[in-house]
Amino acid sequence: MLESANGYYFNEYGRNNIQPDMILVEKDYWISGEDGSAKGQFLDLRQNGHVLKLPRLILLATNMSDDEFDKAKAAGFSDTVIMKPLRASMIAACLQQVLSVGMKKQAGKDAPNEPRVPIKSLLSGKKILVVDDNMVNRRVAAGALKKFGANVECADSGGTALKLLQIPHSFDACFMDIQMPEMDGFEATRRIRKMESQVNEQQMVNGGSTIDGTAKKSEWHMPILAMTADVIHATYEECLKCGMDGYVSKPFEEENLYQAVAKFFQSKPKPVSDS
Amino acid sequence: MDVISQLQRQFIDYTSSLYREGYVDDQFSQLQKLQDESNPDFVVEVVSLFFDDCQKLVQNMAQALEQQNVDFRQVDSHVHQLKGSSSSVGASRVKNACIAFRTFCEAQNREGCLRCLQQVNQEYSVLKNKLQQLFRLEQQIIAAGGSIPMVE
Repeated sequence: MLESANGYYFNEYGRNNIQPDMILVEKDYWISGEDGSAKGQFLDLRQNGHVLKLPRLILLATNMSDDEFDKAKAAGFSDTVIMKPLRASMIAACLQQVLSVGMKKQAGKDAPNEPRVPIKSLLSGKKILVVDDNMVNRRVAAGALKKFGANVECADSGGTALKLLQIPHSFDACFMDIQMPEMDGFEATRRIRKMESQVNEQQMVNGGSTIDGTAKKSEWHMPILAMTADVIHATYEECLKCGMDGYVSKPFEEENLYQAVAKFFQSKPKPVSDS
Repeated sequence: MDVISQLQRQFIDYTSSLYREGYVDDQFSQLQKLQDESNPDFVVEVVSLFFDDCQKLVQNMAQALEQQNVDFRQVDSHVHQLKGSSSSVGASRVKNACIAFRTFCEAQNREGCLRCLQQVNQEYSVLKNKLQQLFRLEQQIIAAGGSIPMVE
């Protein structure tokens, strides 16, 4: 791991072909723009061909206003944000998210012969459950997913979702609102995971035989993504703790949605480099 | 300029003004992109749902604020709902009014809440009129045999 007190070092990266996998930047440094050249260098690093592997750019912040986040996003700069103080579990989660997505992104950027799979082909034919207690939100979320070719069903509560997700079910993924009355998204997810682990244990006991003669999954684990209006302050840890696989912004933002579903609905790519 | 072009021009100008004046934001144009032959009335349907939802929530907020002992958490939860649905349809002025409203709920400030409720009600009414006007323009264009222009 290399450290730099200012942006000058990044020029060196390009010239000496040192290729960082990831650059962690302290938000206040970047946004203060004192060393204005640093900003430009970050963007050069990403956009020109000097580095073969485009590094992932992560902002570290103790606090971040919506405004600052918008600035970072607009600069094409921040792949993700990690809130300080740094916690090992949070870093692990971010690394996983950023690196696994990163490989796919690079496949698209570095190998123009392999166009990125459009979101429509990722979601086409997939059966998705949208859980939200607000009818307007359900309708909008369903509309977006249907446009991308998914087969969508909706549930207006955690309780309804649990009924629909009794095993065996035929859903490929679930988008779950977090704040709902009676049973919130975290609780609903915990119960779904509990149900799955019970079934999985049973299957192991039965020597891996089928349930009810229907198509058997080797192990039940349905992708569950939280839908949250507040991506920055979203409790990523809480999402992971209860068994969610990630979160997406609400309302959907296409790039964000793409990256989230690409993890589940695309085969694992070969590593870009052997370093 | 023929009738269709005139109407289309009007539509473009009117839509642009809605964005410029902050009545709607990019999410509204996302909704329009979701409309197609298989889903031809998507925007009107979603917007209608939103206005019904809005009306219901505003009523609930008013009732809650009339109580002797106001349950501010209850009020806040209605405002939170409205903030979510307005965000989903791109009704940015309504959404912003909700954001302000929530701080008064947190402060348990009844007067402040009542003012915000008025503001929310106002924004909702104005937006409703504006969008109804927009939909009328669309219908006129279609009736004249034209197509609805995309406004980026």
